[in-house]
Amino acid sequence: MSELPPRTEATTPQAERTWRRRGLAALVLLLPLTLAEASHDSVREWLHGEDLIARDVDFGQSVPFGGSDWKLADLRGGKAGRLPDNAFAVIATFSVTVGDPDLQKKWLGCKLMLTDAAGRRWLPDVISGVSVPDGVVNCTSAIFSGARKGDVITVGDTFIVPENAVKTIRPAIGLGSERPWYLRFQRPPK
Amino acid sequence: MRVRAIGNLAILAATVALSYGMQVTKPHYADLTAPVPIDGAMHDWVRARSFDVRLDKIVFAHTLKSDRFGTSKILTTSGVWAVVTTSLTATSTSTTVADGIWQGPTGLRYRVTERLGYRSDLPPHDVDPGLEKRGLYVFEVPADQIRGASLLIAARRFAPLDAQARIRLDAVPVGADGQPADILPEYDLDAPPAPGKT
Amino acid sequence: MFKTARSRFKAWLTAGAGTIAALFVAGLMGAFGALPAHAPPSLPADAATDAGRWRIEPVRAYVSHANVYGVPIKSGQKALVLEVDITNRTAQSDKAYFDVFKPEGIAFPDGKPMITLTRDSTLTPELHPGMAERMAYVWPLAADVAVPSSLSFAITAEIFKPRDNLYGVPGWYNPYRLGTITLAVGDHGGAG
Repeated sequence: MSELPPRTEATTPQAERTWRRRGLAALVLLLPLTLAEASHDSVREWLHGEDLIARDVDFGQSVPFGGSDWKLADLRGGKAGRLPDNAFAVIATFSVTVGDPDLQKKWLGCKLMLTDAAGRRWLPDVISGVSVPDGVVNCTSAIFSGARKGDVITVGDTFIVPENAVKTIRPAIGLGSERPWYLRFQRPPK
Repeated sequence: MRVRAIGNLAILAATVALSYGMQVTKPHYADLTAPVPIDGAMHDWVRARSFDVRLDKIVFAHTLKSDRFGTSKILTTSGVWAVVTTSLTATSTSTTVADGIWQGPTGLRYRVTERLGYRSDLPPHDVDPGLEKRGLYVFEVPADQIRGASLLIAARRFAPLDAQARIRLDAVPVGADGQPADILPEYDLDAPPAPGKT
Repeated sequence: MFKTARSRFKAWLTAGAGTIAALFVAGLMGAFGALPAHAPPSLPADAATDAGRWRIEPVRAYVSHANVYGVPIKSGQKALVLEVDITNRTAQSDKAYFDVFKPEGIAFPDGKPMITLTRDSTLTPELHPGMAERMAYVWPLAADVAVPSSLSFAITAEIFKPRDNLYGVPGWYNPYRLGTITLAVGDHGGAG
């Protein structure tokens, strides 16, 4: 065995050095690409499960969302039923003109919410002694109501909200087919 | 050449030692995906990711009385009943707080009892932001698991990397024998709270 | 030339040794597998036995024709009842006691038994570490099925692994037949 001279910068052929440099440069590009590819599905799934980006809607305006037209019908609050001391009962109702009647697909994961100025969110609660007006259904019942194209249904629910948030609450609606976007409605003028 | 060989051997030995060290200290998968503990004391608010909890009161009793469908049920136990009263609130979004564990001094984990059936003041607790709610956790524990115990509260039963409030129960008055200083013969879960707030 | 032949022989030997060892081990395992399996041992009926997660001590077995511990018995049916003191040997509350006992020689229409806490008839509650509880296993049967006066129950236990092979998490795995417990079966006409 004859000893090879040790490799140094000087003895390495030019072509090899060029390729090594190219390989290193490719890493800079390939690593982030690999990460993006590997996390792509998880990121998409996460985005489709979260109400992240608000689409603001003026009061009285009707906006297409999840294949139907949504309009805030009413928002009212007060002391009613059995509530904690510093809390209000709030009923939010939406008037919805059904466009795409496949509600089981389009409205999957339907979520009525109240949001306040600080970004807090309230989901519907059962309040003993308070119920939504006649003819108003909650989201889940609406999905299975068999509504047809052109029908107008009233979707609503009851919420318990602390006194300090009542002044700034705005109703919102999230649907599985539209996430990460959700609709946030302006309050009716006083 | 001798020096080179010794150098190579040293590098090999160092590599073996490093690899072995890494293998031995490799975190357990169960630890890597364990809940994130948030420590706190009794009567203080403990701020977990999605909810805040404060432990208000612990009552020990030999039997429990609970009204169900209009009839009273008396529940006995081979240990003691520990009824933990907490205040709960959601941090930013309405959520559910479902899991409660009594962790004994040696790490034994006693989950909330399933023998009471459905009651609105037992977990899962629905909590809203800005609103405090009273929530009970009822455990069956042997008397020797009380001194040095902690209460673990989490939003869900299997919640990898989610927060778990861990409240030390060191303010529980315990006698010299490790038994709680005060065990009621019977505790009525449906009795109205005593006047003069606890 | 000589050198090449020797190295070739060496290569053959090295490759062959592995094959021979593999064949030998496989043959040995096959031979052991063909041996008649040991019958599961008979476990004491009047003492506590550690069976994986559970420490079990049978209390009594009987046939009931009326409701037992809140388990309704339909008309035209009876039930085989096994009362047993069970203690959770693990470090956390658990309810994996469904498959611990299996009566031998009787076919059950429903398969799994109803299991209740005799203390207050709670159906399948979690049992807590170190707290012995008396449980009743209730197997509903058609009224005309004969139940022998001495019945064997197969006991299934699991082994604890600090790290399982898939995720490296601790847990109880690999259920196996620990043994059998033979009990006299009484006949209770009324409620248990």
